[in-house]
Amino acid sequence: MATKDDSGALEPYRYVNDALYERLTALESMWKNPGEPPARELGEACERLIKREARLLDDGEFERWLELFSRECIYWIPVRRGNDPRREITGEFHDRRRLRDRVARLRTGSAYSQIPPTRTCRLLSNLEIFTSRTDELAARANFVIQTYRLGVHRALAGWCGYLFVPEQGAWKIALKQINLLDCDEGQENNSFFL
Amino acid sequence: MHRSLYTDPAIFAEEMVRIFGGTWVYLGHESEIARPNDFVARKLGLRPIIITRDGGGKINALMNRCTHRGATVCRLREGSARYFTCGYHGWTYSSSGKCVSVPGSDAYGPDFKLEHYNLARIPRLETYRGLIFGTLNRAAPALTQHLGAARPLIDQWLDRYPGAEIVVRSSAQRMVMAANWKMVYDNAGDGYHPAFSHRSLLAMTARRHGSDRDMSYFGTAEPDDCAMYTQALGGGHTFIDQRPEMHAESAWKRQRPQPGRENYEEQLRERVGDEEANRLLEVAVGSGMNLNIFPNLLIIGNQIQVVEPIAVDRVQVTWYATTLSGVPDEINVLRMRTQEDFPNFGEVDDCANFEACQQGLAIPELEWIDISRHLHTGVERTDAQGVVTGPVSDDLHLRAYYKEWKRLMSAELNLTVE
Repeated sequence: MATKDDSGALEPYRYVNDALYERLTALESMWKNPGEPPARELGEACERLIKREARLLDDGEFERWLELFSRECIYWIPVRRGNDPRREITGEFHDRRRLRDRVARLRTGSAYSQIPPTRTCRLLSNLEIFTSRTDELAARANFVIQTYRLGVHRALAGWCGYLFVPEQGAWKIALKQINLLDCDEGQENNSFFL
Repeated sequence: MHRSLYTDPAIFAEEMVRIFGGTWVYLGHESEIARPNDFVARKLGLRPIIITRDGGGKINALMNRCTHRGATVCRLREGSARYFTCGYHGWTYSSSGKCVSVPGSDAYGPDFKLEHYNLARIPRLETYRGLIFGTLNRAAPALTQHLGAARPLIDQWLDRYPGAEIVVRSSAQRMVMAANWKMVYDNAGDGYHPAFSHRSLLAMTARRHGSDRDMSYFGTAEPDDCAMYTQALGGGHTFIDQRPEMHAESAWKRQRPQPGRENYEEQLRERVGDEEANRLLEVAVGSGMNLNIFPNLLIIGNQIQVVEPIAVDRVQVTWYATTLSGVPDEINVLRMRTQEDFPNFGEVDDCANFEACQQGLAIPELEWIDISRHLHTGVERTDAQGVVTGPVSDDLHLRAYYKEWKRLMSAELNLTVE
C-alpha cells in the first residue's frame, strides 16, 4: 500500500501508532501551559514558517504548502478538543499519505466542493512560540479565516497548535492541530484547508 | 416531482409537523445514554426534545419545554443530570420528566398539583436493538412492523461480527448545507451519481493507489454494469447494496490505505493470528450497505447518519461514528480513521451538488424534476413481500419514498404529546 510522492520517494506511513496517538493526546496539557520561549532566532524562524504556511494556503499553493510539513506529519481537526483520536472521530486526521490524497483530490479538476474554490484570508494573532522538548518547538496562535465562495462570506475562528521539527536544515511543521471555536457544531463546506 | 417540494416554506413547515411527527423517527442510540440519568438533546423535526435514561434505567423522550413559560430546560447537547432546572423561574424536573419543584407554588392556589406540570412526552417510544425511535402518532403501527423488510437488513448491519455490539460514543461529524433535507434522502438511495459526483475521489484513488480500490466499481461506463442493486423496502425505506462488489472478496484488501493501516493490521495479526485477523479487518471497513429508514436515518458504511432539517433550504447531516464492543482495540482505531474517509473525500462533493440543485430549483418557470430512470425499462422485480429490486442506478428509491411522503402529508393524523 506504499505510495510515492511527486519526486518518486516513498511516503512514510508507519508512524501512525499508539505512541503517536498518546503523544498527541498528551499535548493538551502543553497547549494550556506553554513552556519557555526559544532563542530569538529560532522563534523568528517558526514565526516566518507559520506566516508562509498561511500565505501558501490563501494562495491555493497546496503542493508548496505540503513542502512545509515534516515527512512524518499530522494535520488534525478535532470535533471535541482534547480527546484521543483512537476512540473518537475527528473532522480530519491525516498522515502524510492521506494529506497528499486530500491535495490530489482537489487537483483532479472534478472536486465539485471546490469548483469554484473557496477564497480565504487568514489573520493570525496571539502567537506564542515555545520549546516543547529537545529538538522540537511548539506554537499556539489564534486565527480568523475569512472565506468567500459563491456569494457567501463566512468567518471561521479558533486557534492552531503547531509542532516544529528540524529536517534537512530547516524547521518543518510536524503537527497542525486546528481547533475551531465551534468544532463540535455543524460545519459548512470546509473542503479547502484550514 | 414539483420543485416546490424543495423550495416552499409552507410545505416544509407541514413536513416538520406531519413527516417528523406522524411516523417513526430515529431519535438516538441506547449506548449514547448508557448510564442512569444520561441524556442527549435532539430535535423531532424542529421540536427540541431530550432523550434521557432516568434513575430507574428507563428511556424517556421528553419535550424540551418548560411547562411554565416554554423555555428549554436542557441547554446542553449531552451529559448526565438527575434534574433539569429551568433557568428562567427555577421549575425543576427529574430525568424522567416529572415536575418535582416549583418555587413559591403556594401562589398558584390550593388546587395546584406538581404532577399537572410534568414535561410533555413523546407518546410512542420504541427501540429496535439499540436504535431508539419515537412518534407523536398514537395510531402508528408497532415499530417492527413499520421497519418491515428493512428489519432483517438492520440485523445484517448489526451482526457483521459475532457477539460485537454497535456503540455510539465516538462523537460525530456534522455537516451543514444550503439545501432542502430531502436532497439528502434522495441521494442516500441514488446509485447513479457516484461515478460523477465522486469523480474526484475515484480519479485520485486510481492515480495514487491503483484502479481496484474501494468504490472503483462505481466508475464503470455503464452504471448498471455491476452486481449492485437498489431496493424499495416499503414504508419509504430504501437500500443500495454495494456488498456484491465491495465485499465480493475482501473489502479490507481493496480499501484505500487510511492512517495507521499497516501498523494496526500487523499488530492485530500478531495478537490474534491471520484467520481471526482476516475476519476482524473486514469490520474495520465500511459495511457496503446504504440502508435508509424514512425519514431521517441513513445507515451508511459504519456510520449512523441522521438528517436534521433546519429550514426549507438548510439541513444538517450528522454522522455518528460507531465502534464495536468486544473486539480488539486495533479494529476500533482503524474504524475511526475509516469513518473520516468518505465524509472528507466524497460527501463534500455531494453537498456541493445538493446546494447546486437547490440553486437551480429557484427558477419558478421550470417546475419539474425527473425521477423516471428505469420507470419504463421493465427491469424492476417485486417479490412476495412487496420489496422491489432494480438496477443500482434506478430512481426507484425516489418514487418509493415519495409515496410514503404523500401518504403522510395527506393522511388524517392525530398528533399529540402525553
